[in-house]
Amino acid sequence: MERLNWFEITAQMAGHFLPVWIALALIFAVSLLLKDRLGLYGKLFNSSVGMIGLGLVLFWVLTALFADMIAPYEALDQFSGMKNKKPGWPIRGEEGHFLLGGDRLARDVFSRVVYGSRTVMSIAPAATLFAFMVGVTLGLPAGYFGGMLDTVLSFLANLVLAFPVILLFFLLVTPEIRETGIPVYIAAVLFAFPIIFFAVLFHSRYAQQPEKLYPYLGVTLVLGLWAYSGLAFNADPFGVFSMDPNLLNIFVSVVFVNSPTVFRIVRGLAMDIHTRDYVAAAQTRGERPWYIMLWEILPNARGPLLVDFCLRIGYTTILLGTLGFFGLGVSPESPDWGMTINEGRKLLSLYPHPALPPAFALMSLVLGLNLLADGLREQSLKD
Amino acid sequence: MQQGDKEQAILEIDKLSISFFTQAGEIPAVMDFSCSVMPGESMGLVGESGCGKSTVALGIMQDLGTNGRIVGGSVKYKGRDLGAMSELELRKLRGSEIAMIYQEPMASLNPAMHIGRQLMEVPMIHEGASVAEAEQRALDMIDAVRLPDGRRIMKSYPHQISGGQQQRIVIAMALLSNPQLLLLDEPTTALDVTVEAGVVELVKDLGRDFGTSMVFISHNLGLILETCDRVTVMYSGEAVETGGIGDVFDRMRHPYTQGLFRSIPLPGTDKNTRPLMTIPGQLPLPHERPKGCNFGPRCEHFAEGVCNTREIPMLDVDGHALHRSRCERFDELDWHAAPSRSAETAKVPVGVPVLRISELRKHYHVSASSFGTGSNVRTVKANESISFEAREAETVAIVGESGCGKSTLAKVLLGLETASAGKVELDGLEIQSLPVAERDAKTVSSIQMVFQNPFDTLNPSHAVGNQIIRTLEKFGIGANDSERREQMLELLDMVKLPRAFAKRMPRQLSGGQKQRIGVARAFAGRPRVVVADEPVSALDVSVQAAVTELLMGIQRESRTTMLFISHDLSVVRYIADRVVVMYLGYIVEQGTTDQIFAPPYHPYTEALLSAIPIADTSVKKKRIVLQGDIPSAMNPPSGCPFQTRCRFKPQVSDGLCEYVVPPLRAFKDGHQMMCHLDESVLNAMEPVISFAEEA
Repeated sequence: MERLNWFEITAQMAGHFLPVWIALALIFAVSLLLKDRLGLYGKLFNSSVGMIGLGLVLFWVLTALFADMIAPYEALDQFSGMKNKKPGWPIRGEEGHFLLGGDRLARDVFSRVVYGSRTVMSIAPAATLFAFMVGVTLGLPAGYFGGMLDTVLSFLANLVLAFPVILLFFLLVTPEIRETGIPVYIAAVLFAFPIIFFAVLFHSRYAQQPEKLYPYLGVTLVLGLWAYSGLAFNADPFGVFSMDPNLLNIFVSVVFVNSPTVFRIVRGLAMDIHTRDYVAAAQTRGERPWYIMLWEILPNARGPLLVDFCLRIGYTTILLGTLGFFGLGVSPESPDWGMTINEGRKLLSLYPHPALPPAFALMSLVLGLNLLADGLREQSLKD
Repeated sequence: MQQGDKEQAILEIDKLSISFFTQAGEIPAVMDFSCSVMPGESMGLVGESGCGKSTVALGIMQDLGTNGRIVGGSVKYKGRDLGAMSELELRKLRGSEIAMIYQEPMASLNPAMHIGRQLMEVPMIHEGASVAEAEQRALDMIDAVRLPDGRRIMKSYPHQISGGQQQRIVIAMALLSNPQLLLLDEPTTALDVTVEAGVVELVKDLGRDFGTSMVFISHNLGLILETCDRVTVMYSGEAVETGGIGDVFDRMRHPYTQGLFRSIPLPGTDKNTRPLMTIPGQLPLPHERPKGCNFGPRCEHFAEGVCNTREIPMLDVDGHALHRSRCERFDELDWHAAPSRSAETAKVPVGVPVLRISELRKHYHVSASSFGTGSNVRTVKANESISFEAREAETVAIVGESGCGKSTLAKVLLGLETASAGKVELDGLEIQSLPVAERDAKTVSSIQMVFQNPFDTLNPSHAVGNQIIRTLEKFGIGANDSERREQMLELLDMVKLPRAFAKRMPRQLSGGQKQRIGVARAFAGRPRVVVADEPVSALDVSVQAAVTELLMGIQRESRTTMLFISHDLSVVRYIADRVVVMYLGYIVEQGTTDQIFAPPYHPYTEALLSAIPIADTSVKKKRIVLQGDIPSAMNPPSGCPFQTRCRFKPQVSDGLCEYVVPPLRAFKDGHQMMCHLDESVLNAMEPVISFAEEA
């Protein structure tokens, strides 16, 4: 068989992404039809920047979702004779080509990039979400009450921020440190925040309506503690929730370094919104502090927080890439983009093709997130 | 203006139309606006928010931003068309020949530059003056705007001087280049009344001394009366009436102008016998303006087939010089007819005392350093020995300017702060040291508050119905959600809003509607006392009347005690049964409304009364302009709090005012005053407000 030229490669790749195109077209068509009824999300479709950003992000989300249908081969499949082969090289003795060439271990670079999106799209948003839970739960009282509490929490946040990030990561994954159990303890603390957040959220709202309070609280606690036992201590009785210890380290580190920044943003917003009349109005009707923080202040801080959330997923993705590059990634075989770039680096001058596709993938995702954040900011200001 | 006039108009605006272009399409902001300003003349532009008056000013400056454009007509300055000028020519003109003064002085000054440098820039840029010359001129101008100690002020940063002083600096900056035309866009709205009175007098005098023509934009008819020769009333992007002050104020020929005058509390209105008339309906949105007369849907004289057939031009009023109106029917209408909707209500008898405040004191401790409480602790005496009581169904007005402690008093009453000393009794229960978190639901619901800023009083993230339901839930009213929903709908009926509004978000409501929701929320738990903190001051004139009437109506029905906090004595005279005047944390005078508004006055009350602009040409006011600004509560003067600004101080022997706090003296029928002045001096005071001839 002939080696494919670049035009054929592009065409074949586009063909492989067919499920993504269909889904993307559907989402955009429905959203454009209903954009007046979809609030801030709908308004995103008024700005071209926001639409491009959303498109890029959705592309990778959908790729992660349909990875099985898109990728022609498995991430770990090796084909004899395909080591370091150029893009478009036909597979020896079989139908098909390595569209983006083969890597050092004769695996299909294209398939690996597609599967790699799964790791990236699952860890980065989840880690950012946890960082937000921690930051919000601590930042709101710091900004609302001020005083000693604020001083102490802000000091701790600054302490974490002042610590060199990469060093912190190296420490957390060092076997000696791991044996002391420190990462698990940190995980135990950090993973408790979402449960606290939702429990307080429902309690403050429905304290006077037990018939509503108990179902909400029950669901939160059962689901939360179940997941908590699995994720933090790997002790889920049903084995549904579990996390690879290596992954746990990375996850915990990412949450740990991100939450202080979120804390500071939330604290600033809370201090600002605290002076509004509607907060005073809530106080004069006898609302408790946590109700005011979670139901009066937090919803009105959503604009800046949403923007920061998008940007932060981008940073986290880059951070994960960096970590992978330093060999601190999830697992050595994982198709995670950062790890792949690191592996490709060793032969970069001879064979640039294994390292470049994941680099472009990472770049486009982060670009998409940034554009999306810009679009959201622009549209939320117009309201 | 007719051609061939001896004098040429400084400013001629001819059929000016301005539109803004947005995603939603073209939004006309100003349509067919014409007026002219002669040398030395001052023209008032009056109208409610959204009527386009500021857009006209920006149009004159040719500064409409990226999406605004002049789509028709012309603006001529001394016969030269501003629209045809290049950017360079305009830049030469702006700031040197045409100067503009904005509402917010702090926003007009560069916070990072010394005031002196900002002032000196003007002659240096426009006339190439030398540094020494510019400095001298800046000093002279600071003197001209009556600021003391020019050298010190030149070296200060804007935040180091008070708001009134800042606005004087902005005026000085505008006048430094000897402009021919001065545009003032609500120059005193952000200032306190007594400070405002000083600035207004300054503007008037300077206009006279320098011969500057002025365009004075304001929503306050009283201010226009005091400052302008002619006035143009705007409504929904159009000028609806223009003419001399006397014509427009006393012989108006447009129903909107008449409606405006009937909705402001002038001396002579009374909540029981002559209530305010409200203009029904709302300002139409720019893209929903009706065909024909824009005011048609809200006008009581609306005639089908006459008012809604054509775009109405400005029509000359016969017999009145330069008086024009945009009304098809002004010739047919009887302009002296009494308002048709006036309904008299009986005076509500007051009941037992509900709220009793005695010797209340609130001090704040402010420490200068953030670490611990060192020796730098300073005390802010926000409230000093406040004593008064309020009875059932009574309206007690608390009057004072910013920093007088009225907001602190409200906070203590509502439990957001606790008192430092003294007693507050609500129906016999002492609440002065009960923070709101420790009050039970009944106490919380029995003292509630209506907030000042309608745009801030509702949480923008929750539907208004849910916000009321939440209040009911907190007060323990209604057994379940459906009962509370029913209650909420009844509350919406009470504040005269459609029930469908329950599902709306606050941003979909106008300012007046938001304030109504605020009222509904405050009255949700059948309160004994409602503290209303300037509830209408941020609203438009016609909306103010409606909300005031609503508040009075609900109070009448529910026999609630109302504490009405305000700085606007015209509203207070209209609404209050008794008045408490506060200054720097002290009650300087209290008594029934009649006692407060008639001599003998406390010197501060006298100045306050004189400072309020009254939009009535028949009212004669005694001019008393206070010197200086309100002292800071961080550093109050010794002795009488008012001694630094009091004009009667020389009449008290031994300089008693400077070191002894005056005792509270009782006059007849519960009238109390805190002053050292001799009885004979007090009794010799003349009324500040009098009518030229009985109307």
